Amino acid sequence: MAVRRFLGWLLALSVTAALLSAPVWAAEHPYVLHMMVLICIYAIPAVGLNLMLGYSGLVSLGHMGFAGLGAYTAAVLMVDARWSFWSALAAGTVSAGLAGVLIGLICFRFRGHFFMIVTLAFGLLLHAIMNNWDAVTRGAAGFAGIPRPKPIAWGDTVIAFGQLPNFYYLALALTALVFALQYLVVRSNLGRILGAIRQDERLARSRGVNVLMYKTVVFSLGTALAGLGGVLHVSFLRVAAPASFTMLESINTVLIVIIGGAGFLVGPVLGAVVFVALPEGLRLANEWRLVIFGALLVLITLFAPSGLAGLLGRLWARLGAGSKEPGP
Amino acid sequence: MNEALLEQVINGLMMGSIYVLVALGMVLIYGVMHVVNFAHGVLFTMGGYLGHFFYHRLVDSYVLAILLSMLTLGLIGVLLERGVFRPLAGNLRNQVIASLGLILFLENGVVALWGPNALQWKVATTERFVEIGELRFSQHHLGIILITLVLVAALGLYLKYTRFGTAIRATSQSQEAAIVVGIPVRRVQWTTFAIGAMLAGIGGALVGPLFLVFPQMGDVPLIKGLAGILLGGMGSVPGAVIGGLLLGVTESVSTLYLPTDYRDSIAFMVMVLILLVRPQGLFGQRMRGED
Repeated sequence: MAVRRFLGWLLALSVTAALLSAPVWAAEHPYVLHMMVLICIYAIPAVGLNLMLGYSGLVSLGHMGFAGLGAYTAAVLMVDARWSFWSALAAGTVSAGLAGVLIGLICFRFRGHFFMIVTLAFGLLLHAIMNNWDAVTRGAAGFAGIPRPKPIAWGDTVIAFGQLPNFYYLALALTALVFALQYLVVRSNLGRILGAIRQDERLARSRGVNVLMYKTVVFSLGTALAGLGGVLHVSFLRVAAPASFTMLESINTVLIVIIGGAGFLVGPVLGAVVFVALPEGLRLANEWRLVIFGALLVLITLFAPSGLAGLLGRLWARLGAGSKEPGP
Repeated sequence: MNEALLEQVINGLMMGSIYVLVALGMVLIYGVMHVVNFAHGVLFTMGGYLGHFFYHRLVDSYVLAILLSMLTLGLIGVLLERGVFRPLAGNLRNQVIASLGLILFLENGVVALWGPNALQWKVATTERFVEIGELRFSQHHLGIILITLVLVAALGLYLKYTRFGTAIRATSQSQEAAIVVGIPVRRVQWTTFAIGAMLAGIGGALVGPLFLVFPQMGDVPLIKGLAGILLGGMGSVPGAVIGGLLLGVTESVSTLYLPTDYRDSIAFMVMVLILLVRPQGLFGQRMRGED
């Protein structure tokens, strides 16, 4: 046991060190840093979906629609109303969360298939608005000219986010914050209640749990995180396009959560790493990327429903277990 | 004015027929397996691509190409039922997630094999026209409506008057009771899946020559099919037919009064409204156990 705890700390420390020093060891390969920013951008909405799908059993098929809502809100505020990045980031996150409350309240009139179909419909509706409301969203061509955050001056040091390493630290910090938030939610009373709802909604209700309220809370939390990820996404690319928030993108987010391991803290992050890095590692042609991921998704639901985190967790449990436990 | 209306009604019936072909398959599968097959739209796409492939590479007859494409999709349907949906039976979340995986796999597989661009598919029936009063419609338009009507009638008769059709209806009503009276439920399930996939396949092969063959051609029929099902009442076969046609006509007529950009959004509005106001749909009797 002690060995395992020691190894755990060692692993956590070395991962943190590697992440923090990435701009140093990847100085020669800006593309690696670029990919790591993308991992963060995919991981943040995925954490939101993990809270819904993994911890509360709410399968939303329109998640990236909310990311788009947050992203476009921030884009309009930054470009047309000259808001700063930080207030637009907050506004984008909050507006996606509020939309989550409103749409969630409609969706929660349904369960099972009907819930999924309605979330799918809202995701498509949000996408249709981004695509068609030319006056505000600039339509299908995309919303260009979205700024990066303004440089922060701290005494003599100036942090400019036009530079990749600094934007990477920003993305990393936000991902760490979101990850910590996920940890707090899951380990709190709220997390236990959500687990109860996931396992047996009727039982939870019969024990006096206000199921509708808690579902709405977690749904809006999840959509707010989607919005946060969306704002970061468009600020990184400097352009918002409806194509980034389609039904397929929502499916990709489900894919990230499931491959990483739904209902595990590290699941969405692992999933995002696999989603971004695996095609590069295998040097896959772009058109085969999603073919392979689609097959992987089907195989995982069939043979390893707890995803990568579940597999690794089992390996981890076996590690050092032999020395301590007397055996069956 | 009246002519414009008639034209839009006939266009709407044509689009509605496509929605019906997709919706029927999904309703039948939902009935016997209690799963909404979100991958039904990509089966439609496969129908288009396979039809195009058979027409240009194998046979020179449109009718034969359609039939071959239907048959292949029937086989694919059986494979999917046996390989994916049956092993996951009873786990709604994983069945839906697996069907999302199938969407990614098949839609991008089509891109990998045939490229991302739309394929042209020239068929004589799109060039020949029928005159109704002052209006001209291609034979293809009217053919789609006619073929759908024939298929719907044949399917209705099959479900109502044959032994196996009765078994399908019985399984939809109660799986346990069907097992008790000795209905081969598993065979019913894979057969129904095959029928559903074949209906999607013929839909794709019928639409291909009209609107080109492209990787996302099944997305809209999937959504509209779902909307048609909800409109008609989940699990109701006549409901799916009427819901699909109604949706097609409503959309088409709406273009006379609304900007066309919003035509596709009508389906979403209809879905949400129906679910809020009358969740059992226009013709559905009850909601199935959805817990």
